[in-house]
Amino acid sequence: MRLMSVSIFLLLMWALLVSLSLTQGAVVLSLSDIWSVWQQGTLTEHFVLWNHRLPRMIIATLVGMSLALSGCMVQSVVRNPLASPDILGVTSAAALAVVGLLIYWPDANVHWIPFAALIGGFSAAGLLLLLTTKRLAEPSHLALIGLALGALFSAIVDYLLSKYPLEINGAMLWMTGSVWGRNWSHLPLILPWLMVLVPGAIYLCYRLDVLSLGQEKAASLGLKVTHLQVVTLLMAIALASVSVSVCGAIAFVGLVAPHIARFLMGGRHFPVIIIAMLLGAIILLAADIFARAIAPPLEFPAGIFVAMIGAPYFIFLITRYKHW
Amino acid sequence: MTQKLFLFVASFFISTLTLASTSVNDEMGVFTIDSVPDRVVVLEFSFVDALANIGVSPVGVADDGDANNLIDAISSKVNPWTSVGNRYQPSLEVIASLKPDLIIADPDRNASIYEDLKRIAPTVVLKSRGETYQDNLDTFVKIGTIMGQETAVKARLEEHHQRMDTLAEQISSNFRFQFAVANERGLWMHGPKSYAGSVMERLGLRVATAEERETAYIATTLEQLLNANPDVFLLGEYGETTIVDTWKTNPLWSLMSATKSDRFYEADPRLWSLNRGMIAAELMAEELVELINKP
Repeated sequence: MRLMSVSIFLLLMWALLVSLSLTQGAVVLSLSDIWSVWQQGTLTEHFVLWNHRLPRMIIATLVGMSLALSGCMVQSVVRNPLASPDILGVTSAAALAVVGLLIYWPDANVHWIPFAALIGGFSAAGLLLLLTTKRLAEPSHLALIGLALGALFSAIVDYLLSKYPLEINGAMLWMTGSVWGRNWSHLPLILPWLMVLVPGAIYLCYRLDVLSLGQEKAASLGLKVTHLQVVTLLMAIALASVSVSVCGAIAFVGLVAPHIARFLMGGRHFPVIIIAMLLGAIILLAADIFARAIAPPLEFPAGIFVAMIGAPYFIFLITRYKHW
Repeated sequence: MTQKLFLFVASFFISTLTLASTSVNDEMGVFTIDSVPDRVVVLEFSFVDALANIGVSPVGVADDGDANNLIDAISSKVNPWTSVGNRYQPSLEVIASLKPDLIIADPDRNASIYEDLKRIAPTVVLKSRGETYQDNLDTFVKIGTIMGQETAVKARLEEHHQRMDTLAEQISSNFRFQFAVANERGLWMHGPKSYAGSVMERLGLRVATAEERETAYIATTLEQLLNANPDVFLLGEYGETTIVDTWKTNPLWSLMSATKSDRFYEADPRLWSLNRGMIAAELMAEELVELINKP
């Protein structure tokens, strides 16, 4: 019942943000404008609403959901409150792949960027699993090796950025994590993944609840622990890679959303996952609205605002919550 | 048969008259537009220079939110425009609301939103960021062609080359020149592949980084700067404090030929780096003449 009431509250909040997202910005529309544009718009308003704001709103929502879900799953495998998709090295590997693409194949079509990111993310994940499968009994190893890999990839990215400052402008922008310039063509890059992985995550919820009792207890209850850990990690990595490939590196959603969800819902995975996804969508959507409405016509990367909204709230939360 | 042929020829002429379309090669292939555009939005500073030279005022400019990013010599030649935001992240909403009939975009910065821009208006993608002096002139001709101003373009080019030749005659110098920009994070020398470097070469000057033909903007440490060792060093600084403030306290700094002979000058980065174009090139040349002929 608590799940129901919290979800409804969050859905209402999301709906409010959707209406803000569609009406606010450099060109302010009213809700009744939206209806008339729908019916018969001039070309401009039609573009602003249909080709620009609506896909952007949907992408922000889906990427927020995806990052939050990824965070939930990483945290349940690593069983460490600091765990988030960022520690898997996926983000920096994706960034490395994109920077490499832009430097060494400058003529490559921009539409390849998401695919490069996806390949980079999955390669890093493969490397990570290769290095850690024997050590999954100690999940902290996973986090540490992931962090080390991430540091290595970031170092290479920094090196390339300082060596080729000119070629890199687009890459910098992409890495800050932005929903700017995203349109309908980006939707197929994320929607199919979520349609498979969200039901998959829900299916795993019960097993993850058992896992949270501790690995030994879970194993004695008949759970294939390593198997479950690898599958969960793969799903988390896929979700993180897909998000990065669409919006670049947006830190913090994957860390904050699961924590708030757990704070609200307790330890069971099913309610936590549902609420975390809603929260992720809300956080990223709110950040994007801020990013483009704060000083139009200037647009800022939403990633900056995620941190600006997320970090203080996270600190507040941590100081209030004592049940680690 | 003759009648048919006549009809064919006649219809051909009529169709070319009514569909007087213009085509130029752009970075995406061939750009074609059916009529002379009236409302132009540009996403880089250099395009404003090109338009100003043929007396066209853009309705929107990606000026990073500050019209003062354009030097007065350029902005005084055109009517006030609406800012469409940052050059690297222009606001698609504002661009659309200006109802342009032409958008001029940069291949490097704007490739990712090319499809969206085309949905708003015909979009021509021309080199701006990292362009050379010659690239810039080629772009000017293309913009002039699209705007249906071939005669004005020709006249302006001729005038420009005369002006540059006159100025070049006034600065025969054996010095090795170098322009660089600096911010808090670092310093980048603008080699012969950059706009400032290629303008210097146009004037017959030697650029200190003459061998660097690969990269336009060369990330530089103090030691590398000393290695390039320019005789005349022009520096454009972004921001109040830059990395050069610390370099100046380093003994190496005073070993550079330019500092030894007191030929280190502060230059306006807007003029020397941001506002690439014929107007800027002429002003840069004038500045160089002044610096060299200083007693």
